[in-house]
Amino acid sequence: MKEKLKLLKMVFVVLACLLPVSAAFAQDQGAPTLQIDRTELKNGGVIKVTGKAPPGQPVFLEVWAVDKTVRANQFDNKRDEETGKIPYIFYITHDMPAYYKIFMPSELQPKLDAIKAEGGKWSFSKALKETGADVAYNVPAGIKVDHYQATLMASVIGSRGTLLPALDADENKKRSMQLIKSRFRSYDKVLGADVNVAPDGTFSADINIRSGLAPGKYRIAAVVDRNLRSQPAEFENKISFPTMYLKNAGTSMNLLWPFLLTLVVAIFGVLMGAGGGFILNPLLVSIFPMLPHTVVAGTVMPTVLFSQGSGIYNYSKIKFINWKLGIGIGCAMLLGGFIGPKLTEMITLAQFKFAFGWILLVLAGLMFWQTTAGYLAKNKKEQAILKEFKKRAEEAAKAKK
Amino acid sequence: MKVEFWGQEFHANMIVGCIGGFLIAVMSSMFGFGGGPFMVPLMTVAMRLPMYIVVGSSLLAIFFNTAMGTLRHYQFGNFDLLFFLAMFPAALLGGYIGPQIAKRVSPIVVKRVACVGLILLGLKLLGLY
Repeated sequence: MKEKLKLLKMVFVVLACLLPVSAAFAQDQGAPTLQIDRTELKNGGVIKVTGKAPPGQPVFLEVWAVDKTVRANQFDNKRDEETGKIPYIFYITHDMPAYYKIFMPSELQPKLDAIKAEGGKWSFSKALKETGADVAYNVPAGIKVDHYQATLMASVIGSRGTLLPALDADENKKRSMQLIKSRFRSYDKVLGADVNVAPDGTFSADINIRSGLAPGKYRIAAVVDRNLRSQPAEFENKISFPTMYLKNAGTSMNLLWPFLLTLVVAIFGVLMGAGGGFILNPLLVSIFPMLPHTVVAGTVMPTVLFSQGSGIYNYSKIKFINWKLGIGIGCAMLLGGFIGPKLTEMITLAQFKFAFGWILLVLAGLMFWQTTAGYLAKNKKEQAILKEFKKRAEEAAKAKK
Repeated sequence: MKVEFWGQEFHANMIVGCIGGFLIAVMSSMFGFGGGPFMVPLMTVAMRLPMYIVVGSSLLAIFFNTAMGTLRHYQFGNFDLLFFLAMFPAALLGGYIGPQIAKRVSPIVVKRVACVGLILLGLKLLGLY
Protein backbone atom coordinates (compact mmCIF):
# COMPACT_ATOMS: atom_id res chain seq x y z
CA MET A 1 0.00 0.00 0.00
CA LYS A 2 2.75 2.39 0.95
CA GLU A 3 4.62 1.56 -2.25
CA LYS A 4 1.57 2.29 -4.30
CA LEU A 5 1.16 5.66 -2.66
CA LYS A 6 4.79 6.50 -3.38
CA LEU A 7 4.37 5.55 -7.02
CA LEU A 8 1.26 7.67 -7.31
CA LYS A 9 3.15 10.58 -5.81
CA MET A 10 5.97 10.17 -8.32
CA VAL A 11 3.61 10.05 -11.26
CA PHE A 12 2.02 13.20 -9.95
CA VAL A 13 5.33 15.02 -9.64
CA VAL A 14 6.41 14.03 -13.14
CA LEU A 15 3.09 15.18 -14.54
CA ALA A 16 3.36 18.46 -12.69
CA CYS A 17 6.81 19.00 -14.18
CA LEU A 18 5.64 18.19 -17.68
CA LEU A 19 2.58 20.40 -17.64
CA PRO A 20 4.26 23.81 -17.82
CA VAL A 21 6.73 22.51 -20.38
CA SER A 22 3.97 21.36 -22.65
CA ALA A 23 2.10 24.62 -22.10
CA ALA A 24 5.23 26.58 -23.03
CA PHE A 25 5.66 24.38 -26.07
CA ALA A 26 2.11 25.06 -27.19
CA GLN A 27 2.66 28.78 -26.77
CA ASP A 28 5.83 28.71 -28.83
CA GLN A 29 3.95 27.41 -31.78
CA GLY A 30 2.73 30.57 -33.44
CA ALA A 31 3.13 32.86 -30.46
CA PRO A 32 4.37 36.23 -31.69
CA THR A 33 7.75 37.58 -30.68
CA LEU A 34 8.64 41.21 -30.21
CA GLN A 35 11.61 43.51 -29.63
CA ILE A 36 11.80 47.18 -28.76
CA ASP A 37 14.61 49.55 -29.73
CA ARG A 38 14.93 51.37 -26.42
CA THR A 39 14.07 50.68 -22.81
CA GLU A 40 14.02 54.18 -21.43
CA LEU A 41 11.98 57.27 -22.22
CA LYS A 42 12.19 60.80 -20.84
CA ASN A 43 8.63 62.03 -20.35
CA GLY A 44 7.37 60.23 -23.42
CA GLY A 45 8.87 59.59 -26.83
CA VAL A 46 8.73 57.15 -29.71
CA ILE A 47 9.53 53.47 -29.35
CA LYS A 48 10.07 51.25 -32.36
CA VAL A 49 8.52 47.83 -31.93
CA THR A 50 9.39 45.01 -34.31
CA GLY A 51 8.50 41.34 -34.25
CA LYS A 52 7.13 38.33 -35.98
CA ALA A 53 3.72 36.74 -35.85
CA PRO A 54 2.04 33.95 -37.80
CA PRO A 55 1.51 35.20 -41.35
CA GLY A 56 -1.83 36.53 -42.46
CA GLN A 57 -3.08 37.49 -39.01
CA PRO A 58 -3.73 40.94 -37.58
CA VAL A 59 -1.31 41.93 -34.83
CA PHE A 60 -2.34 44.01 -31.84
CA LEU A 61 -0.01 45.61 -29.34
CA GLU A 62 -1.25 45.99 -25.80
CA VAL A 63 0.68 48.65 -23.86
CA TRP A 64 0.11 49.41 -20.19
CA ALA A 65 1.71 51.06 -17.17
CA VAL A 66 2.77 48.50 -14.60
CA ASP A 67 3.75 50.56 -11.55
CA LYS A 68 1.12 53.24 -11.37
CA THR A 69 -2.59 52.77 -11.05
CA VAL A 70 -5.33 55.35 -10.77
CA ARG A 71 -8.91 55.58 -9.69
CA ALA A 72 -11.70 55.49 -12.22
CA ASN A 73 -15.39 55.72 -11.53
CA GLN A 74 -18.60 55.78 -13.45
CA PHE A 75 -22.22 56.27 -12.49
CA ASP A 76 -24.67 54.15 -14.42
CA ASN A 77 -27.96 56.02 -14.60
CA LYS A 78 -28.95 55.02 -18.13
CA ARG A 79 -32.35 53.43 -18.47
CA ASP A 80 -32.14 49.71 -19.19
CA GLU A 81 -33.85 49.18 -22.56
CA GLU A 82 -35.22 45.76 -21.67
CA THR A 83 -36.60 46.34 -18.19
CA GLY A 84 -37.15 50.09 -18.42
CA LYS A 85 -35.53 50.57 -15.03
CA ILE A 86 -32.74 52.97 -14.19
CA PRO A 87 -30.01 51.02 -12.36
CA TYR A 88 -28.35 53.87 -10.40
CA ILE A 89 -25.19 51.86 -9.82
CA PHE A 90 -21.86 53.46 -9.03
CA TYR A 91 -18.78 51.63 -10.35
CA ILE A 92 -15.32 52.38 -9.01
CA THR A 93 -11.83 50.89 -9.26
CA HIS A 94 -8.51 51.91 -7.80
CA ASP A 95 -6.45 49.59 -10.00
CA MET A 96 -6.81 51.15 -13.44
CA PRO A 97 -3.38 51.28 -15.14
CA ALA A 98 -2.27 54.91 -15.38
CA TYR A 99 -1.64 54.27 -19.08
CA TYR A 100 -3.41 51.85 -21.35
CA LYS A 101 -3.54 51.65 -25.12
CA ILE A 102 -4.10 49.06 -27.81
CA PHE A 103 -2.34 49.58 -31.13
CA MET A 104 -3.89 47.83 -34.10
CA PRO A 105 -2.93 47.24 -37.74
CA SER A 106 -2.88 50.47 -39.76
CA GLU A 107 -5.50 49.08 -42.17
CA LEU A 108 -8.05 49.55 -39.39
CA GLN A 109 -7.65 53.34 -39.44
CA PRO A 110 -11.04 53.84 -41.25
CA LYS A 111 -12.75 52.08 -38.33
CA LEU A 112 -11.09 54.47 -35.88
CA ASP A 113 -12.23 57.38 -38.05
CA ALA A 114 -15.78 56.05 -37.77
CA ILE A 115 -15.40 56.04 -33.96
CA LYS A 116 -14.10 59.59 -34.10
CA ALA A 117 -17.25 60.59 -35.98
CA GLU A 118 -19.35 59.37 -33.05
CA GLY A 119 -17.87 62.15 -30.89
CA GLY A 120 -18.34 61.92 -27.12
CA LYS A 121 -20.84 59.04 -27.39
CA TRP A 122 -18.30 56.43 -28.53
CA SER A 123 -18.20 53.11 -26.72
CA PHE A 124 -14.95 51.34 -25.92
CA SER A 125 -16.41 47.84 -25.90
CA LYS A 126 -18.10 48.42 -29.26
CA ALA A 127 -14.85 49.82 -30.68
CA LEU A 128 -12.94 46.74 -29.49
CA LYS A 129 -15.47 44.41 -31.04
CA GLU A 130 -15.60 46.19 -34.39
CA THR A 131 -11.84 46.36 -34.81
CA GLY A 132 -11.26 42.86 -33.46
CA ALA A 133 -9.00 44.34 -30.81
CA ASP A 134 -11.05 42.65 -28.08
CA VAL A 135 -8.66 39.68 -28.31
CA ALA A 136 -5.90 41.98 -27.04
CA TYR A 137 -7.93 43.41 -24.18
CA ASN A 138 -6.42 41.60 -21.25
CA VAL A 139 -4.75 43.60 -18.49
CA PRO A 140 -7.60 45.85 -17.31
CA ALA A 141 -10.16 43.04 -17.61
CA GLY A 142 -8.99 41.63 -14.30
CA ILE A 143 -8.87 44.82 -12.23
CA LYS A 144 -11.04 44.85 -9.17
CA VAL A 145 -14.22 46.80 -9.85
CA ASP A 146 -16.43 47.62 -6.87
CA HIS A 147 -20.02 48.61 -7.41
CA TYR A 148 -22.48 50.30 -5.15
CA GLN A 149 -26.24 50.53 -5.30
CA ALA A 150 -26.81 54.27 -5.02
CA THR A 151 -30.12 55.57 -3.75
CA LEU A 152 -31.48 59.06 -3.52
CA MET A 153 -31.44 58.80 0.28
CA ALA A 154 -27.84 57.60 0.33
CA SER A 155 -26.81 60.44 -1.97
CA VAL A 156 -28.56 62.96 0.26
CA ILE A 157 -26.58 61.83 3.27
CA GLY A 158 -23.49 61.81 1.07
CA SER A 159 -22.86 58.08 0.94
CA ARG A 160 -21.93 55.96 -2.07
CA GLY A 161 -24.67 53.50 -1.17
CA THR A 162 -24.42 49.82 -0.30
CA LEU A 163 -21.50 47.80 -1.61
CA LEU A 164 -22.82 45.00 -3.80
CA PRO A 165 -21.26 41.52 -4.02
CA ALA A 166 -18.23 41.19 -6.33
CA LEU A 167 -18.86 41.09 -10.07
CA ASP A 168 -18.27 37.87 -12.01
CA ALA A 169 -15.39 37.82 -14.51
CA ASP A 170 -17.44 38.68 -17.60
CA GLU A 171 -19.32 41.51 -15.96
CA ASN A 172 -16.09 42.78 -14.43
CA LYS A 173 -14.53 42.89 -17.89
CA LYS A 174 -17.50 44.71 -19.36
CA ARG A 175 -17.53 47.32 -16.61
CA SER A 176 -13.75 47.75 -16.79
CA MET A 177 -14.21 48.80 -20.42
CA GLN A 178 -16.68 51.50 -19.39
CA LEU A 179 -14.27 52.64 -16.70
CA ILE A 180 -11.53 52.88 -19.34
CA LYS A 181 -13.69 55.30 -21.25
CA SER A 182 -14.57 57.33 -18.18
CA ARG A 183 -10.90 57.51 -17.23
CA PHE A 184 -9.23 58.15 -20.61
CA ARG A 185 -12.26 59.84 -22.23
CA SER A 186 -11.25 60.11 -25.86
CA TYR A 187 -10.81 57.12 -28.16
CA ASP A 188 -7.37 58.18 -29.44
CA LYS A 189 -5.95 57.92 -25.91
CA VAL A 190 -6.63 54.17 -25.82
CA LEU A 191 -6.74 53.10 -29.45
CA GLY A 192 -4.27 53.67 -32.26
CA ALA A 193 -3.68 52.18 -35.72
CA ASP A 194 0.10 52.21 -36.05
CA VAL A 195 1.12 48.59 -36.61
CA ASN A 196 2.39 47.71 -40.09
CA VAL A 197 2.06 43.99 -40.73
CA ALA A 198 3.86 42.42 -43.71
CA PRO A 199 2.35 39.40 -45.52
CA ASP A 200 5.03 37.12 -44.00
CA GLY A 201 3.95 38.03 -40.49
CA THR A 202 6.73 40.42 -39.56
CA PHE A 203 5.41 43.62 -38.09
CA SER A 204 6.75 46.98 -37.01
CA ALA A 205 5.25 49.98 -35.26
CA ASP A 206 6.44 53.39 -34.12
CA ILE A 207 4.66 53.75 -30.83
CA ASN A 208 4.31 57.29 -29.60
CA ILE A 209 4.19 57.48 -25.82
CA ARG A 210 2.85 60.99 -25.16
CA SER A 211 4.31 63.35 -22.60
CA GLY A 212 2.61 63.93 -19.25
CA LEU A 213 2.19 60.26 -18.42
CA ALA A 214 2.94 58.36 -15.26
CA PRO A 215 6.60 57.51 -14.62
CA GLY A 216 7.71 53.95 -14.03
CA LYS A 217 7.67 50.66 -15.86
CA TYR A 218 5.53 49.98 -18.91
CA ARG A 219 4.98 46.73 -20.77
CA ILE A 220 4.20 45.91 -24.37
CA ALA A 221 2.80 42.60 -25.53
CA ALA A 222 1.97 41.53 -29.08
CA VAL A 223 -1.33 39.70 -29.39
CA VAL A 224 -2.67 37.72 -32.32
CA ASP A 225 -5.38 35.72 -30.67
CA ARG A 226 -6.82 35.38 -27.21
CA ASN A 227 -4.31 32.63 -26.42
CA LEU A 228 -1.48 33.77 -28.63
CA ARG A 229 0.43 36.44 -26.77
CA SER A 230 4.12 37.30 -26.85
CA GLN A 231 6.22 37.66 -23.74
CA PRO A 232 5.90 41.31 -22.74
CA ALA A 233 8.81 43.70 -23.36
CA GLU A 234 9.46 46.28 -20.70
CA PHE A 235 10.53 49.92 -20.82
CA GLU A 236 10.68 52.73 -18.32
CA ASN A 237 9.33 56.26 -18.53
CA LYS A 238 11.35 58.80 -16.54
CA ILE A 239 10.37 62.31 -15.56
CA SER A 240 12.29 65.01 -13.74
CA PHE A 241 11.47 68.16 -11.77
CA PRO A 242 9.55 70.45 -12.25
CA THR A 243 7.51 67.82 -13.99
CA MET A 244 6.12 65.57 -11.31
CA TYR A 245 3.64 62.75 -11.08
CA LEU A 246 0.31 63.63 -9.50
CA LYS A 247 -0.72 60.46 -7.79
CA ASN A 248 -4.45 61.02 -7.53
CA ALA A 249 -4.76 62.64 -10.93
CA GLY A 250 -2.75 59.80 -12.53
CA THR A 251 -0.80 62.12 -14.78
CA SER A 252 2.50 63.96 -14.61
CA MET A 253 2.65 67.62 -15.16
CA ASN A 254 5.03 70.57 -15.13
CA LEU A 255 4.05 72.10 -11.79
CA LEU A 256 5.17 75.56 -12.91
CA TRP A 257 2.00 75.97 -14.99
CA PRO A 258 -0.57 75.52 -12.24
CA PHE A 259 1.60 77.76 -10.03
CA LEU A 260 1.61 80.63 -12.55
CA LEU A 261 -2.04 80.15 -13.42
CA THR A 262 -3.06 80.23 -9.76
CA LEU A 263 -0.97 83.33 -9.15
CA VAL A 264 -2.62 85.27 -11.98
CA VAL A 265 -6.10 84.10 -11.05
CA ALA A 266 -5.56 84.84 -7.33
CA ILE A 267 -4.46 88.42 -8.08
CA PHE A 268 -7.38 88.92 -10.41
CA GLY A 269 -9.69 87.43 -7.76
CA VAL A 270 -8.57 90.00 -5.22
CA LEU A 271 -9.18 92.82 -7.70
CA MET A 272 -12.64 91.50 -8.41
CA GLY A 273 -13.43 91.13 -4.75
CA ALA A 274 -14.17 87.43 -5.06
CA GLY A 275 -12.19 84.26 -4.65
CA GLY A 276 -10.57 82.89 -7.77
CA GLY A 277 -11.84 79.31 -7.47
CA PHE A 278 -14.63 79.71 -9.97
CA ILE A 279 -12.16 80.90 -12.63
CA LEU A 280 -9.32 78.56 -11.72
CA ASN A 281 -11.42 75.38 -11.91
CA PRO A 282 -12.79 75.78 -15.44
CA LEU A 283 -9.40 77.00 -16.67
CA LEU A 284 -7.66 73.95 -15.25
CA VAL A 285 -10.10 71.46 -16.74
CA SER A 286 -9.95 73.23 -20.11
CA ILE A 287 -6.18 73.65 -20.31
CA PHE A 288 -5.17 70.28 -18.81
CA PRO A 289 -7.70 67.79 -20.15
CA MET A 290 -5.96 64.86 -18.47
CA LEU A 291 -6.71 66.18 -14.98
CA PRO A 292 -9.91 64.56 -13.70
CA HIS A 293 -12.49 67.18 -12.71
CA THR A 294 -12.90 65.50 -9.33
CA VAL A 295 -9.24 66.10 -8.49
CA VAL A 296 -9.39 69.68 -9.77
CA ALA A 297 -12.42 70.49 -7.63
CA GLY A 298 -11.06 68.65 -4.60
CA THR A 299 -7.66 70.30 -4.72
CA VAL A 300 -8.62 73.88 -5.59
CA MET A 301 -11.09 74.05 -2.71
CA PRO A 302 -8.55 73.72 0.12
CA THR A 303 -6.33 76.45 -1.37
CA VAL A 304 -8.86 79.12 -0.37
CA LEU A 305 -9.27 77.72 3.13
CA PHE A 306 -6.29 79.63 4.46
CA SER A 307 -7.19 83.02 2.98
CA GLN A 308 -10.73 82.62 4.30
CA GLY A 309 -9.40 81.74 7.74
CA SER A 310 -7.12 84.76 7.87
CA GLY A 311 -9.98 86.96 6.63
CA ILE A 312 -12.23 85.74 9.42
CA TYR A 313 -9.46 86.32 11.95
CA ASN A 314 -8.95 89.90 10.77
CA TYR A 315 -12.65 90.68 10.85
CA SER A 316 -13.10 89.05 14.24
CA LYS A 317 -10.30 91.16 15.70
CA ILE A 318 -12.35 94.28 15.05
CA LYS A 319 -15.58 92.48 15.98
CA PHE A 320 -16.90 92.77 12.46
CA ILE A 321 -18.57 89.39 12.34
CA ASN A 322 -22.05 88.59 13.52
CA TRP A 323 -21.50 85.10 14.86
CA LYS A 324 -25.16 84.28 15.19
CA LEU A 325 -25.83 85.07 11.54
CA GLY A 326 -22.62 83.51 10.24
CA ILE A 327 -22.97 80.27 12.16
CA GLY A 328 -26.69 80.03 11.44
CA ILE A 329 -26.21 80.10 7.70
CA GLY A 330 -22.92 78.24 8.14
CA CYS A 331 -24.79 75.20 9.50
CA ALA A 332 -26.90 75.03 6.36
CA MET A 333 -23.76 75.36 4.28
CA LEU A 334 -22.05 72.64 6.30
CA LEU A 335 -24.78 70.29 5.16
CA GLY A 336 -24.41 71.42 1.55
CA GLY A 337 -20.65 70.98 1.71
CA PHE A 338 -21.20 67.43 2.91
CA ILE A 339 -23.29 66.49 -0.11
CA GLY A 340 -21.59 68.41 -2.91
CA PRO A 341 -18.31 66.44 -3.19
CA LYS A 342 -20.33 63.22 -3.49
CA LEU A 343 -22.10 64.62 -6.51
CA THR A 344 -18.80 65.60 -8.16
CA GLU A 345 -17.83 61.98 -8.74
CA MET A 346 -21.27 61.02 -10.00
CA ILE A 347 -21.17 63.37 -12.97
CA THR A 348 -19.09 63.11 -16.12
CA LEU A 349 -16.69 65.77 -17.33
CA ALA A 350 -19.20 66.83 -19.99
CA GLN A 351 -21.88 67.40 -17.34
CA PHE A 352 -19.36 69.19 -15.15
CA LYS A 353 -18.50 71.55 -17.98
CA PHE A 354 -22.13 72.11 -18.91
CA ALA A 355 -23.20 73.03 -15.39
CA PHE A 356 -20.12 75.12 -14.77
CA GLY A 357 -20.70 76.97 -18.05
CA TRP A 358 -24.11 78.10 -16.83
CA ILE A 359 -22.78 79.01 -13.39
CA LEU A 360 -20.22 81.26 -15.05
CA LEU A 361 -22.86 82.94 -17.21
CA VAL A 362 -24.98 83.64 -14.11
CA LEU A 363 -21.88 84.97 -12.39
CA ALA A 364 -21.14 87.19 -15.38
CA GLY A 365 -24.67 88.55 -15.01
CA LEU A 366 -24.05 89.26 -11.31
CA MET A 367 -20.79 91.00 -12.15
CA PHE A 368 -22.46 93.12 -14.81
CA TRP A 369 -25.25 94.06 -12.41
CA GLN A 370 -22.59 95.27 -9.99
CA THR A 371 -21.34 97.77 -12.58
CA THR A 372 -24.75 99.26 -13.44
CA ALA A 373 -25.47 102.83 -12.38
CA GLY A 374 -28.28 101.91 -9.97
CA TYR A 375 -26.14 99.41 -8.11
CA LEU A 376 -23.15 101.74 -8.00
CA ALA A 377 -25.16 104.58 -6.46
CA LYS A 378 -26.55 102.26 -3.80
CA ASN A 379 -23.18 100.64 -3.31
CA LYS A 380 -21.48 104.01 -2.80
CA LYS A 381 -23.74 104.71 0.15
CA GLU A 382 -23.25 101.22 1.51
CA GLN A 383 -19.50 101.41 1.14
CA ALA A 384 -19.46 104.76 2.95
CA ILE A 385 -21.41 103.26 5.85
CA LEU A 386 -19.16 100.18 5.74
CA LYS A 387 -16.06 102.36 5.99
CA GLU A 388 -17.55 104.41 8.80
CA PHE A 389 -18.45 101.31 10.80
CA LYS A 390 -15.11 99.70 10.12
CA LYS A 391 -13.32 102.82 11.37
CA ARG A 392 -15.35 102.82 14.51
CA ALA A 393 -14.70 99.12 14.99
CA GLU A 394 -10.98 99.52 14.49
CA GLU A 395 -10.85 102.40 16.94
CA ALA A 396 -12.82 100.41 19.48
CA ALA A 397 -10.40 97.52 19.11
CA LYS A 398 -7.44 99.85 19.55
CA ALA A 399 -8.98 101.58 22.58
CA LYS A 400 -9.31 98.22 24.26
CA LYS A 401 -5.60 97.67 24.01
CA MET B 1 -34.40 86.00 13.55
CA LYS B 2 -33.19 89.23 15.10
CA VAL B 3 -29.50 90.03 14.83
CA GLU B 4 -27.72 92.84 16.54
CA PHE B 5 -24.71 94.46 15.01
CA TRP B 6 -22.92 97.50 16.33
CA GLY B 7 -25.87 98.79 18.26
CA GLN B 8 -28.37 98.30 15.46
CA GLU B 9 -30.96 95.61 15.18
CA PHE B 10 -31.85 93.85 11.95
CA HIS B 11 -34.42 91.31 11.04
CA ALA B 12 -32.79 88.43 9.12
CA ASN B 13 -34.95 85.92 7.32
CA MET B 14 -33.10 82.74 8.24
CA ILE B 15 -35.35 80.48 6.16
CA VAL B 16 -34.30 82.23 2.97
CA GLY B 17 -30.71 82.41 4.22
CA CYS B 18 -30.46 78.73 5.10
CA ILE B 19 -32.12 77.39 1.96
CA GLY B 20 -30.08 79.71 -0.24
CA GLY B 21 -26.90 78.96 1.70
CA PHE B 22 -27.53 75.23 1.44
CA LEU B 23 -28.00 75.35 -2.34
CA ILE B 24 -24.96 77.56 -2.82
CA ALA B 25 -22.94 75.20 -0.63
CA VAL B 26 -23.94 72.11 -2.62
CA MET B 27 -23.06 73.84 -5.87
CA SER B 28 -19.81 75.40 -4.73
CA SER B 29 -18.45 72.29 -3.00
CA MET B 30 -19.47 70.19 -5.99
CA PHE B 31 -17.51 72.41 -8.36
CA GLY B 32 -14.77 73.36 -5.93
CA PHE B 33 -15.01 77.11 -5.54
CA GLY B 34 -15.62 79.34 -2.54
CA GLY B 35 -19.09 80.69 -3.15
CA GLY B 36 -18.50 84.26 -1.99
CA PRO B 37 -19.75 85.92 -5.18
CA PHE B 38 -23.10 84.16 -4.69
CA MET B 39 -23.37 84.52 -0.91
CA VAL B 40 -22.99 88.30 -0.84
CA PRO B 41 -25.89 88.94 -3.26
CA LEU B 42 -27.97 86.36 -1.37
CA MET B 43 -27.48 88.14 1.93
CA THR B 44 -27.74 91.70 0.64
CA VAL B 45 -30.54 91.29 -1.88
CA ALA B 46 -32.62 88.31 -0.76
CA MET B 47 -32.15 88.85 3.00
CA ARG B 48 -32.00 92.66 2.74
CA LEU B 49 -29.06 93.01 5.06
CA PRO B 50 -26.69 95.98 4.77
CA MET B 51 -23.28 95.43 3.26
CA TYR B 52 -21.30 96.09 6.41
CA ILE B 53 -22.84 93.21 8.31
CA VAL B 54 -22.58 90.90 5.31
CA VAL B 55 -18.84 91.13 4.52
CA GLY B 56 -17.58 89.40 7.65
CA SER B 57 -20.52 87.12 8.35
CA SER B 58 -20.75 85.72 4.84
CA LEU B 59 -17.06 84.84 5.01
CA LEU B 60 -17.69 82.92 8.21
CA ALA B 61 -20.62 81.03 6.66
CA ILE B 62 -18.57 80.14 3.59
CA PHE B 63 -15.72 78.91 5.74
CA PHE B 64 -17.98 76.19 7.14
CA ASN B 65 -18.73 75.04 3.61
CA THR B 66 -15.11 75.13 2.44
CA ALA B 67 -13.88 73.23 5.49
CA MET B 68 -16.52 70.53 5.13
CA GLY B 69 -16.10 70.33 1.36
CA THR B 70 -12.34 69.96 1.74
CA LEU B 71 -12.78 67.16 4.25
CA ARG B 72 -15.21 65.28 2.03
CA HIS B 73 -13.12 65.71 -1.10
CA TYR B 74 -10.18 64.35 0.84
CA GLN B 75 -12.27 61.41 1.98
CA PHE B 76 -13.28 60.58 -1.60
CA GLY B 77 -9.63 60.73 -2.72
CA ASN B 78 -10.04 63.88 -4.80
CA PHE B 79 -7.24 65.74 -3.07
CA ASP B 80 -3.80 65.60 -4.69
CA LEU B 81 -1.06 66.79 -2.36
CA LEU B 82 1.56 67.73 -4.97
CA PHE B 83 -0.96 69.57 -7.07
CA PHE B 84 -2.08 71.42 -3.94
CA LEU B 85 1.51 72.33 -3.05
CA ALA B 86 1.96 73.83 -6.53
CA MET B 87 -1.12 76.02 -6.21
CA PHE B 88 -1.21 76.93 -2.52
CA PRO B 89 1.90 79.22 -2.43
CA ALA B 90 0.66 80.92 -5.59
CA ALA B 91 -2.69 81.60 -3.95
CA LEU B 92 -0.94 83.10 -0.90
CA LEU B 93 1.37 85.19 -3.07
CA GLY B 94 -1.59 86.38 -5.14
CA GLY B 95 -3.43 87.36 -1.98
CA TYR B 96 -0.40 89.45 -1.02
CA ILE B 97 0.21 91.12 -4.40
CA GLY B 98 -3.46 91.64 -5.25
CA PRO B 99 -4.33 94.34 -2.68
CA GLN B 100 -1.31 96.38 -3.74
CA ILE B 101 -2.47 96.48 -7.34
CA ALA B 102 -6.07 96.99 -6.26
CA LYS B 103 -5.34 100.54 -5.10
CA ARG B 104 -4.35 101.54 -8.63
CA VAL B 105 -7.15 100.08 -10.72
CA SER B 106 -10.81 100.95 -10.89
CA PRO B 107 -13.02 98.12 -9.57
CA ILE B 108 -15.63 98.89 -12.22
CA VAL B 109 -13.15 98.29 -15.04
CA VAL B 110 -11.99 95.06 -13.38
CA LYS B 111 -15.57 93.86 -13.01
CA ARG B 112 -16.39 94.63 -16.65
CA VAL B 113 -13.27 92.77 -17.80
CA ALA B 114 -14.22 89.88 -15.53
CA CYS B 115 -17.72 89.93 -16.94
CA VAL B 116 -16.45 89.52 -20.52
CA GLY B 117 -13.94 86.89 -19.40
CA LEU B 118 -16.61 84.91 -17.56
CA ILE B 119 -18.95 84.94 -20.55
CA LEU B 120 -16.17 83.72 -22.85
CA LEU B 121 -15.13 81.01 -20.40
CA GLY B 122 -18.73 79.99 -19.81
CA LEU B 123 -19.48 79.70 -23.54
CA LYS B 124 -16.29 77.69 -24.00
CA LEU B 125 -17.37 75.23 -21.31
CA LEU B 126 -20.77 74.95 -22.95
CA GLY B 127 -18.91 74.01 -26.13
CA LEU B 128 -20.32 76.87 -28.17
CA TYR B 129 -16.98 77.68 -29.78
